[in-house]
Amino acid sequence: MLNYIWMGLIAIGILVAAGNDIYNETQNTYRNGVPMDAVVQFDESSANDLTAKGKINMPADAFRAFYDLPAATDVHQPIIITTSSSGEKLFTLPVDDSSPKHWKEMTKGALAKDKLSGRIVAYTVADDAKSAHVRLEFEPIRFVKMKAVTQSALDIASTAVSIALGLIGVMALWLGVMKVAEEAGLLKALTRLLTPVTKRIFPDVPTDHPAIGAIIMNTAANMLGLSNAATPIGLKAMEELNKLNPKAGTATNAMVTFLAINTGGLILIPATAIAVRVSVGSANPGLIIGTSIVGAGCATIAGVLASKILQRLPVFKRDLVVVEKEASHG
Amino acid sequence: MGDLFRSIINIISILAIPLVLLLFLLWGFFKKVKVYEVFVEGAKDGFNTAVRIIPYLVAMLVAIAIFRASGALELLTTLLAPVTSLIGMPPEALPMAFMRPLSGSGSLGLMTELMKVHGPDSVIGVLASTMYGSSETTFYVLAVYFGAVNIKNTRHAVPVGIIADVVGMLAAVWIVRVLFF
Repeated sequence: MLNYIWMGLIAIGILVAAGNDIYNETQNTYRNGVPMDAVVQFDESSANDLTAKGKINMPADAFRAFYDLPAATDVHQPIIITTSSSGEKLFTLPVDDSSPKHWKEMTKGALAKDKLSGRIVAYTVADDAKSAHVRLEFEPIRFVKMKAVTQSALDIASTAVSIALGLIGVMALWLGVMKVAEEAGLLKALTRLLTPVTKRIFPDVPTDHPAIGAIIMNTAANMLGLSNAATPIGLKAMEELNKLNPKAGTATNAMVTFLAINTGGLILIPATAIAVRVSVGSANPGLIIGTSIVGAGCATIAGVLASKILQRLPVFKRDLVVVEKEASHG
Repeated sequence: MGDLFRSIINIISILAIPLVLLLFLLWGFFKKVKVYEVFVEGAKDGFNTAVRIIPYLVAMLVAIAIFRASGALELLTTLLAPVTSLIGMPPEALPMAFMRPLSGSGSLGLMTELMKVHGPDSVIGVLASTMYGSSETTFYVLAVYFGAVNIKNTRHAVPVGIIADVVGMLAAVWIVRVLFF
Protein backbone atom coordinates (compact mmCIF):
# COMPACT_ATOMS: atom_id res chain seq x y z
CA MET A 1 0.00 0.00 0.00
CA LEU A 2 2.72 2.42 1.00
CA ASN A 3 4.48 1.52 -2.26
CA TYR A 4 1.58 2.96 -4.23
CA ILE A 5 1.15 6.05 -2.08
CA TRP A 6 4.86 6.79 -2.11
CA MET A 7 5.20 6.34 -5.85
CA GLY A 8 2.01 8.34 -6.33
CA LEU A 9 3.27 11.32 -4.31
CA ILE A 10 6.51 11.47 -6.30
CA ALA A 11 5.03 10.80 -9.75
CA ILE A 12 2.05 13.14 -9.31
CA GLY A 13 4.35 15.76 -7.83
CA ILE A 14 6.77 15.77 -10.74
CA LEU A 15 4.05 15.56 -13.41
CA VAL A 16 2.01 18.35 -11.85
CA ALA A 17 5.16 20.46 -11.54
CA ALA A 18 5.86 19.95 -15.26
CA GLY A 19 2.24 20.74 -16.13
CA ASN A 20 2.30 23.90 -14.02
CA ASP A 21 5.53 25.06 -15.65
CA ILE A 22 4.16 24.50 -19.15
CA TYR A 23 0.95 26.32 -18.25
CA ASN A 24 2.89 29.25 -16.78
CA GLU A 25 5.08 29.38 -19.89
CA THR A 26 2.11 29.53 -22.28
CA GLN A 27 0.25 32.06 -20.13
CA ASN A 28 3.44 34.00 -19.44
CA THR A 29 2.37 34.16 -15.79
CA TYR A 30 5.66 35.78 -14.84
CA ARG A 31 5.58 38.33 -17.67
CA ASN A 32 8.90 37.39 -19.18
CA GLY A 33 10.06 40.07 -21.61
CA VAL A 34 7.33 42.51 -20.52
CA PRO A 35 8.88 45.59 -18.88
CA MET A 36 7.27 46.95 -15.72
CA ASP A 37 6.89 50.65 -15.05
CA ALA A 38 7.40 51.74 -11.48
CA VAL A 39 8.44 54.64 -9.28
CA VAL A 40 11.42 54.27 -6.96
CA GLN A 41 11.65 56.42 -3.81
CA PHE A 42 15.25 56.65 -2.61
CA ASP A 43 16.01 56.38 1.11
CA GLU A 44 19.23 58.28 1.73
CA SER A 45 21.11 57.86 -1.48
CA SER A 46 20.41 59.93 -4.53
CA ALA A 47 19.08 58.68 -7.85
CA ASN A 48 22.42 59.47 -9.45
CA ASP A 49 24.62 57.41 -7.10
CA LEU A 50 26.46 54.40 -8.51
CA THR A 51 24.67 52.22 -5.96
CA ALA A 52 21.30 53.58 -4.92
CA LYS A 53 18.92 52.02 -2.42
CA GLY A 54 15.24 52.76 -2.41
CA LYS A 55 11.74 51.38 -2.39
CA ILE A 56 9.26 50.57 -5.11
CA ASN A 57 5.83 51.71 -3.98
CA MET A 58 3.04 50.40 -6.12
CA PRO A 59 -0.70 50.29 -5.42
CA ALA A 60 -2.23 46.81 -5.20
CA ASP A 61 -4.38 47.41 -8.28
CA ALA A 62 -1.47 48.23 -10.56
CA PHE A 63 0.45 45.15 -9.41
CA ARG A 64 -2.62 42.97 -9.78
CA ALA A 65 -3.31 44.27 -13.27
CA PHE A 66 0.28 43.81 -14.43
CA TYR A 67 0.44 40.15 -13.48
CA ASP A 68 -3.31 39.53 -13.95
CA LEU A 69 -3.66 38.16 -10.39
CA PRO A 70 -6.92 37.49 -8.56
CA ALA A 71 -5.77 39.53 -5.55
CA ALA A 72 -2.78 41.54 -4.38
CA THR A 73 -1.70 43.90 -1.62
CA ASP A 74 0.10 47.25 -1.88
CA VAL A 75 3.75 46.82 -2.79
CA HIS A 76 6.53 48.38 -0.72
CA GLN A 77 9.53 46.55 -2.06
CA PRO A 78 13.17 47.47 -1.36
CA ILE A 79 15.26 47.82 -4.51
CA ILE A 80 19.00 48.23 -5.11
CA ILE A 81 20.05 49.96 -8.31
CA THR A 82 23.64 49.67 -9.48
CA THR A 83 25.33 51.27 -12.45
CA SER A 84 27.96 49.24 -14.26
CA SER A 85 31.14 50.76 -15.73
CA SER A 86 29.53 50.76 -19.16
CA GLY A 87 26.71 52.91 -17.77
CA GLU A 88 24.12 50.16 -17.81
CA LYS A 89 21.76 50.20 -14.85
CA LEU A 90 20.88 46.93 -13.10
CA PHE A 91 18.47 46.29 -10.28
CA THR A 92 18.07 43.71 -7.51
CA LEU A 93 14.95 43.11 -5.44
CA PRO A 94 15.76 41.35 -2.15
CA VAL A 95 12.57 39.35 -1.68
CA ASP A 96 11.49 38.56 1.88
CA ASP A 97 8.28 37.94 3.77
CA SER A 98 7.01 41.48 3.20
CA SER A 99 7.35 41.15 -0.56
CA PRO A 100 4.37 40.32 -2.81
CA LYS A 101 3.51 36.63 -2.87
CA HIS A 102 3.87 36.49 -6.63
CA TRP A 103 7.44 37.74 -6.44
CA LYS A 104 8.24 35.30 -3.69
CA GLU A 105 7.09 32.53 -5.99
CA MET A 106 9.13 33.97 -8.86
CA THR A 107 12.36 33.81 -6.83
CA LYS A 108 12.09 30.01 -6.95
CA GLY A 109 12.74 30.25 -10.69
CA ALA A 110 15.31 33.04 -10.45
CA LEU A 111 19.07 32.74 -10.77
CA ALA A 112 19.92 33.85 -7.24
CA LYS A 113 18.21 32.70 -4.07
CA ASP A 114 15.72 35.09 -2.47
CA LYS A 115 16.24 37.89 -4.97
CA LEU A 116 14.96 38.98 -8.34
CA SER A 117 17.17 40.96 -10.65
CA GLY A 118 17.20 42.47 -14.12
CA ARG A 119 18.02 45.49 -16.25
CA ILE A 120 16.62 48.97 -16.11
CA VAL A 121 15.72 49.99 -19.66
CA ALA A 122 14.45 53.50 -18.92
CA TYR A 123 15.46 55.74 -16.02
CA THR A 124 13.96 59.19 -15.53
CA VAL A 125 15.20 61.02 -12.45
CA ALA A 126 12.92 63.52 -10.70
CA ASP A 127 14.18 67.10 -10.21
CA ASP A 128 15.10 66.61 -6.55
CA ALA A 129 16.86 63.28 -7.33
CA LYS A 130 14.81 61.73 -4.50
CA SER A 131 12.79 59.53 -6.84
CA ALA A 132 12.91 58.13 -10.34
CA HIS A 133 10.58 56.64 -12.91
CA VAL A 134 12.01 53.31 -13.93
CA ARG A 135 11.16 50.68 -16.48
CA LEU A 136 12.25 47.28 -15.18
CA GLU A 137 13.07 44.32 -17.35
CA PHE A 138 13.14 41.24 -15.11
CA GLU A 139 15.41 38.29 -15.72
CA PRO A 140 13.40 35.55 -17.45
CA ILE A 141 11.62 33.36 -14.89
CA ARG A 142 11.10 29.79 -16.04
CA PHE A 143 10.54 26.29 -14.60
CA VAL A 144 9.57 27.70 -11.20
CA LYS A 145 7.89 24.49 -10.02
CA MET A 146 10.58 22.15 -11.35
CA LYS A 147 13.28 24.16 -9.63
CA ALA A 148 11.20 24.22 -6.46
CA VAL A 149 10.78 20.43 -6.60
CA THR A 150 14.54 19.93 -6.96
CA GLN A 151 15.38 22.37 -4.21
CA SER A 152 12.89 21.06 -1.68
CA ALA A 153 13.76 17.42 -2.35
CA LEU A 154 17.44 18.12 -1.69
CA ASP A 155 16.76 20.36 1.30
CA ILE A 156 14.38 17.96 3.02
CA ALA A 157 16.74 15.01 2.59
CA SER A 158 19.21 16.68 4.91
CA THR A 159 16.45 17.97 7.17
CA ALA A 160 15.27 14.38 7.61
CA VAL A 161 18.71 13.38 8.85
CA SER A 162 18.84 16.27 11.32
CA ILE A 163 15.40 15.34 12.62
CA ALA A 164 16.46 11.74 13.17
CA LEU A 165 19.80 12.65 14.74
CA GLY A 166 18.05 15.24 16.91
CA LEU A 167 16.12 12.37 18.44
CA ILE A 168 19.23 10.63 19.78
CA GLY A 169 19.43 12.58 23.04
CA VAL A 170 15.79 12.35 24.11
CA MET A 171 15.66 8.77 22.87
CA ALA A 172 18.56 7.85 25.12
CA LEU A 173 17.04 9.63 28.11
CA TRP A 174 13.63 7.99 27.85
CA LEU A 175 14.88 4.57 26.87
CA GLY A 176 17.08 4.67 29.96
CA VAL A 177 14.19 5.68 32.22
CA MET A 178 11.94 3.05 30.65
CA LYS A 179 14.53 0.35 31.22
CA VAL A 180 14.68 1.24 34.91
CA ALA A 181 10.88 1.22 35.10
CA GLU A 182 10.80 -2.16 33.41
CA GLU A 183 13.36 -3.74 35.73
CA ALA A 184 11.58 -2.31 38.75
CA GLY A 185 8.32 -3.92 37.63
CA LEU A 186 6.68 -0.52 37.34
CA LEU A 187 5.55 -1.03 33.77
CA LYS A 188 3.86 -4.26 34.78
CA ALA A 189 2.02 -2.51 37.61
CA LEU A 190 0.86 0.22 35.24
CA THR A 191 -0.20 -2.42 32.75
CA ARG A 192 -2.32 -4.32 35.25
CA LEU A 193 -4.22 -1.14 36.04
CA LEU A 194 -5.53 -0.75 32.52
CA THR A 195 -5.79 -4.40 31.50
CA PRO A 196 -9.59 -4.31 31.03
CA VAL A 197 -9.13 -1.65 28.31
CA THR A 198 -5.91 -2.81 26.73
CA LYS A 199 -6.88 -6.47 26.34
CA ARG A 200 -9.77 -5.36 24.14
CA ILE A 201 -7.69 -2.98 22.02
CA PHE A 202 -4.66 -5.26 21.79
CA PRO A 203 -5.98 -8.83 22.00
CA ASP A 204 -2.80 -10.24 20.38
CA VAL A 205 -0.48 -8.86 23.06
CA PRO A 206 -0.14 -10.70 26.40
CA THR A 207 -1.74 -8.48 29.05
CA ASP A 208 1.43 -8.15 31.14
CA HIS A 209 3.81 -7.59 28.23
CA PRO A 210 6.12 -4.53 28.57
CA ALA A 211 4.74 -3.26 25.23
CA ILE A 212 1.43 -2.49 26.92
CA GLY A 213 3.16 -0.40 29.58
CA ALA A 214 5.01 1.59 26.93
CA ILE A 215 1.81 2.06 24.92
CA ILE A 216 0.02 3.42 27.98
CA MET A 217 2.86 5.82 28.77
CA ASN A 218 3.10 6.95 25.16
CA THR A 219 -0.61 7.69 25.01
CA ALA A 220 -0.48 9.56 28.32
CA ALA A 221 2.50 11.66 27.15
CA ASN A 222 0.75 12.41 23.86
CA MET A 223 -2.42 13.50 25.61
CA LEU A 224 -0.44 15.91 27.79
CA GLY A 225 1.29 17.31 24.72
CA LEU A 226 4.74 16.06 25.83
CA SER A 227 5.85 15.04 22.36
CA ASN A 228 9.51 15.01 23.45
CA ALA A 229 8.76 12.10 25.72
CA ALA A 230 5.98 10.55 23.64
CA THR A 231 8.05 9.72 20.56
CA PRO A 232 10.89 7.83 22.33
CA ILE A 233 8.42 5.91 24.49
CA GLY A 234 6.29 5.19 21.42
CA LEU A 235 9.32 3.81 19.60
CA LYS A 236 10.09 1.68 22.64
CA ALA A 237 6.53 0.35 22.42
CA MET A 238 7.08 -0.47 18.74
CA GLU A 239 10.25 -2.36 19.60
CA GLU A 240 8.42 -4.35 22.25
CA LEU A 241 5.59 -5.10 19.83
CA ASN A 242 8.17 -6.17 17.27
CA LYS A 243 9.44 -8.82 19.69
CA LEU A 244 6.03 -10.49 19.28
CA ASN A 245 6.22 -10.16 15.50
CA PRO A 246 6.41 -13.54 13.77
CA LYS A 247 7.43 -11.97 10.45
CA ALA A 248 10.21 -9.39 10.55
CA GLY A 249 9.62 -6.39 8.28
CA THR A 250 5.84 -6.74 8.24
CA ALA A 251 3.51 -4.77 10.51
CA THR A 252 1.40 -6.73 12.98
CA ASN A 253 -2.23 -5.98 13.81
CA ALA A 254 -1.23 -4.59 17.20
CA MET A 255 1.31 -2.23 15.59
CA VAL A 256 -1.25 -0.80 13.20
CA THR A 257 -3.78 -0.30 16.00
CA PHE A 258 -1.12 1.43 18.08
CA LEU A 259 -0.24 3.65 15.12
CA ALA A 260 -3.94 4.48 14.70
CA ILE A 261 -4.04 5.75 18.29
CA ASN A 262 -0.94 7.84 17.61
CA THR A 263 -1.97 9.33 14.27
CA GLY A 264 -5.41 10.11 15.66
CA GLY A 265 -3.58 12.66 17.76
CA LEU A 266 -5.58 12.30 20.96
CA ILE A 267 -4.67 15.32 23.04
CA LEU A 268 -6.09 17.23 25.99
CA ILE A 269 -4.45 20.57 25.26
CA PRO A 270 -3.53 21.43 21.67
CA ALA A 271 -0.70 23.62 22.93
CA THR A 272 0.81 24.58 19.56
CA ALA A 273 -2.49 25.68 18.05
CA ILE A 274 -3.31 27.70 21.18
CA ALA A 275 0.12 29.38 21.13
CA VAL A 276 -0.36 30.43 17.50
CA ARG A 277 -3.85 31.73 18.29
CA VAL A 278 -2.38 33.87 21.08
CA SER A 279 0.32 35.21 18.77
CA VAL A 280 -2.18 36.33 16.11
CA GLY A 281 -4.29 38.10 18.71
CA SER A 282 -7.23 35.80 19.36
CA ALA A 283 -9.78 37.03 21.92
CA ASN A 284 -10.31 33.47 23.11
CA PRO A 285 -7.32 31.24 22.30
CA GLY A 286 -8.57 28.33 24.42
CA LEU A 287 -11.79 28.13 22.41
CA ILE A 288 -10.47 25.22 20.39
CA ILE A 289 -9.67 22.91 23.32
CA GLY A 290 -13.12 21.33 23.30
CA THR A 291 -13.43 21.16 19.55
CA SER A 292 -9.96 19.60 19.18
CA ILE A 293 -10.74 16.94 21.80
CA VAL A 294 -13.90 16.04 19.87
CA GLY A 295 -12.06 16.04 16.52
CA ALA A 296 -9.12 13.98 17.74
CA GLY A 297 -11.40 11.67 19.72
CA CYS A 298 -13.45 10.89 16.62
CA ALA A 299 -10.28 10.40 14.57
CA THR A 300 -8.78 8.03 17.13
CA ILE A 301 -11.93 5.95 17.53
CA ALA A 302 -12.35 5.77 13.74
CA GLY A 303 -8.70 4.77 13.36
CA VAL A 304 -8.89 1.98 15.94
CA LEU A 305 -12.15 0.65 14.47
CA ALA A 306 -10.75 0.85 10.94
CA SER A 307 -7.64 -1.07 12.01
CA LYS A 308 -9.85 -3.78 13.53
CA ILE A 309 -11.99 -4.06 10.41
CA LEU A 310 -9.24 -3.80 7.79
CA GLN A 311 -7.01 -6.38 9.49
CA ARG A 312 -9.64 -9.00 8.62
CA LEU A 313 -9.51 -8.25 4.90
CA PRO A 314 -7.84 -11.07 2.96
CA VAL A 315 -5.51 -8.59 1.22
CA PHE A 316 -3.96 -7.53 4.50
CA LYS A 317 -4.27 -10.89 6.25
CA ARG A 318 -2.26 -12.60 3.53
CA ASP A 319 0.88 -10.61 4.34
CA LEU A 320 0.94 -12.02 7.86
CA VAL A 321 1.40 -15.61 6.72
CA VAL A 322 4.92 -16.69 7.60
CA VAL A 323 6.66 -18.54 4.82
CA GLU A 324 8.88 -21.39 6.09
CA LYS A 325 12.07 -19.96 4.67
CA GLU A 326 11.53 -16.52 6.16
CA ALA A 327 10.70 -17.98 9.55
CA SER A 328 14.01 -19.77 9.73
CA HIS A 329 15.76 -16.47 9.18
CA GLY A 330 13.97 -15.13 12.23
CA MET B 1 -14.83 25.76 33.07
CA GLY B 2 -12.66 25.67 29.96
CA ASP B 3 -10.09 27.91 31.63
CA LEU B 4 -9.98 25.83 34.79
CA PHE B 5 -9.53 22.67 32.73
CA ARG B 6 -6.79 24.37 30.76
CA SER B 7 -4.84 25.50 33.82
CA ILE B 8 -5.13 22.10 35.49
CA ILE B 9 -3.80 20.38 32.37
CA ASN B 10 -1.08 23.02 32.07
CA ILE B 11 0.13 22.33 35.59
CA ILE B 12 0.06 18.58 34.97
CA SER B 13 2.10 18.90 31.79
CA ILE B 14 4.68 21.09 33.54
CA LEU B 15 5.06 18.68 36.44
CA ALA B 16 4.72 15.45 34.46
CA ILE B 17 8.31 14.94 33.35
CA PRO B 18 10.07 15.81 36.64
CA LEU B 19 7.56 13.70 38.56
CA VAL B 20 7.85 10.73 36.23
CA LEU B 21 11.65 10.89 36.41
CA LEU B 22 11.61 11.06 40.19
CA LEU B 23 8.94 8.41 40.66
CA PHE B 24 10.34 5.90 38.21
CA LEU B 25 13.92 6.18 39.35
CA LEU B 26 13.04 6.19 43.07
CA TRP B 27 10.77 3.19 42.61
CA GLY B 28 13.59 1.38 40.84
CA PHE B 29 16.02 2.42 43.56
CA PHE B 30 13.85 1.01 46.35
CA LYS B 31 13.27 -2.15 44.34
CA LYS B 32 17.06 -2.58 44.45
CA VAL B 33 17.54 -1.92 40.76
CA LYS B 34 21.03 -0.58 39.97
CA VAL B 35 19.46 2.56 38.57
CA TYR B 36 22.51 4.15 37.00
CA GLU B 37 23.76 0.99 35.35
CA VAL B 38 20.33 0.01 34.05
CA PHE B 39 19.65 3.55 32.79
CA VAL B 40 22.87 3.58 30.78
CA GLU B 41 22.15 0.10 29.47
CA GLY B 42 18.75 1.25 28.18
CA ALA B 43 19.97 4.59 26.88
CA LYS B 44 22.52 2.83 24.67
CA ASP B 45 19.77 1.91 22.22
CA GLY B 46 18.86 5.55 21.61
CA PHE B 47 21.54 6.04 19.01
CA ASN B 48 20.72 2.92 17.03
CA THR B 49 17.02 3.64 16.95
CA ALA B 50 17.56 7.20 15.74
CA VAL B 51 19.97 6.10 13.02
CA ARG B 52 17.64 3.29 11.93
CA ILE B 53 14.89 5.84 11.25
CA ILE B 54 16.95 7.89 8.78
CA PRO B 55 16.27 5.98 5.51
CA TYR B 56 12.54 5.76 6.24
CA LEU B 57 12.32 9.43 7.10
CA VAL B 58 14.29 10.52 4.03
CA ALA B 59 12.08 8.43 1.72
CA MET B 60 8.86 9.73 3.21
CA LEU B 61 9.79 13.39 3.60
CA VAL B 62 11.30 13.65 0.09
CA ALA B 63 8.13 12.28 -1.53
CA ILE B 64 5.99 14.69 0.48
CA ALA B 65 8.29 17.63 -0.29
CA ILE B 66 8.11 16.93 -4.04
CA PHE B 67 4.34 16.69 -3.87
CA ARG B 68 4.06 19.95 -1.94
CA ALA B 69 6.49 21.94 -4.09
CA SER B 70 4.78 20.94 -7.33
CA GLY B 71 1.56 22.83 -6.62
CA ALA B 72 -0.43 19.57 -6.62
CA LEU B 73 -2.15 20.55 -3.37
CA GLU B 74 -3.53 23.72 -4.97
CA LEU B 75 -4.81 21.65 -7.89
CA LEU B 76 -6.45 19.14 -5.54
CA THR B 77 -8.07 21.99 -3.62
CA THR B 78 -9.53 23.52 -6.78
CA LEU B 79 -10.91 20.15 -7.87
CA LEU B 80 -12.44 19.19 -4.52
CA ALA B 81 -13.67 22.57 -3.27
CA PRO B 82 -17.15 22.23 -4.87
CA VAL B 83 -17.63 18.84 -3.19
CA THR B 84 -16.51 19.91 0.27
CA SER B 85 -18.58 23.12 0.20
CA LEU B 86 -21.63 20.84 0.09
CA ILE B 87 -20.88 19.67 3.64
CA GLY B 88 -20.32 23.21 4.87
CA MET B 89 -16.53 23.21 4.75
CA PRO B 90 -15.16 26.58 3.63
CA PRO B 91 -12.84 26.13 0.60
CA GLU B 92 -10.15 28.17 2.38
CA ALA B 93 -9.85 25.44 5.00
CA LEU B 94 -9.49 22.63 2.47
CA PRO B 95 -5.70 22.91 1.94
CA MET B 96 -5.37 22.53 5.72
CA ALA B 97 -7.18 19.19 5.55
CA PHE B 98 -4.77 17.91 2.92
CA MET B 99 -1.65 19.35 4.51
CA ARG B 100 -2.28 18.16 8.07
CA PRO B 101 -1.44 14.47 7.54
CA LEU B 102 1.48 15.27 5.22
CA SER B 103 3.52 17.95 6.93
CA GLY B 104 3.64 19.32 10.45
CA SER B 105 5.52 22.50 9.58
CA GLY B 106 3.46 23.00 6.41
CA SER B 107 0.16 22.80 8.25
CA LEU B 108 1.47 25.03 11.03
CA GLY B 109 2.31 27.67 8.41
CA LEU B 110 -1.08 27.29 6.73
CA MET B 111 -2.94 27.58 10.02
CA THR B 112 -1.02 30.73 10.95
CA GLU B 113 -1.68 32.31 7.56
CA LEU B 114 -5.38 31.45 7.58
CA MET B 115 -5.77 33.01 11.02
CA LYS B 116 -3.84 36.12 10.01
CA VAL B 117 -5.95 36.63 6.89
CA HIS B 118 -9.39 35.69 8.22
CA GLY B 119 -8.95 36.42 11.94
CA PRO B 120 -8.35 33.79 14.64
CA ASP B 121 -11.92 33.92 15.91
CA SER B 122 -13.65 33.69 12.52
CA VAL B 123 -15.17 30.41 11.29
CA ILE B 124 -12.10 29.72 9.18
CA GLY B 125 -9.69 30.65 11.98
CA VAL B 126 -11.40 28.45 14.55
CA LEU B 127 -11.78 25.64 12.03
CA ALA B 128 -8.13 25.78 10.94
CA SER B 129 -6.84 25.65 14.50
CA THR B 130 -9.28 22.87 15.42
CA MET B 131 -8.09 20.88 12.40
CA TYR B 132 -4.51 21.42 13.46
CA GLY B 133 -5.28 20.38 17.03
CA SER B 134 -7.34 17.34 16.16
CA SER B 135 -4.84 15.33 14.18
CA GLU B 136 -1.24 14.25 13.93
CA THR B 137 1.15 14.29 10.99
CA THR B 138 0.18 10.78 9.94
CA PHE B 139 2.87 10.12 7.34
CA TYR B 140 5.64 11.38 9.59
CA VAL B 141 4.44 9.14 12.43
CA LEU B 142 4.23 6.19 10.04
CA ALA B 143 7.79 6.70 8.80
CA VAL B 144 9.32 7.20 12.25
CA TYR B 145 7.46 4.46 14.13
CA PHE B 146 7.76 1.80 11.46
CA GLY B 147 11.30 2.90 10.62
CA ALA B 148 12.39 2.30 14.20
CA VAL B 149 11.61 -1.41 13.88
CA ASN B 150 12.50 -1.80 10.20
CA ILE B 151 8.94 -2.44 9.06
CA LYS B 152 8.71 -2.11 5.29
CA ASN B 153 5.37 -3.78 4.66
CA THR B 154 2.98 -1.51 6.52
CA ARG B 155 -0.15 -3.54 5.58
CA HIS B 156 -3.32 -1.62 6.41
CA ALA B 157 -1.57 1.17 8.34
CA VAL B 158 -1.85 3.76 5.56
CA PRO B 159 -5.59 3.32 4.86
CA VAL B 160 -6.21 3.28 8.62
CA GLY B 161 -4.27 6.53 9.04
CA ILE B 162 -6.11 8.16 6.15
CA ILE B 163 -9.51 7.05 7.47
CA ALA B 164 -8.62 8.51 10.87
CA ASP B 165 -7.54 11.77 9.24
CA VAL B 166 -10.67 12.11 7.09
CA VAL B 167 -12.91 11.39 10.08
CA GLY B 168 -10.93 13.85 12.22
CA MET B 169 -11.22 16.63 9.63
CA LEU B 170 -14.96 16.02 9.08
CA ALA B 171 -15.55 15.90 12.84
CA ALA B 172 -13.68 19.21 13.18
CA VAL B 173 -15.92 20.84 10.55
CA TRP B 174 -19.02 19.40 12.19
CA ILE B 175 -18.22 20.39 15.78
CA VAL B 176 -17.15 23.91 14.79
CA ARG B 177 -20.36 24.37 12.75
CA VAL B 178 -22.55 23.06 15.55
CA LEU B 179 -20.95 24.93 18.44
CA PHE B 180 -20.05 28.31 17.04
CA PHE B 181 -21.67 29.25 13.78
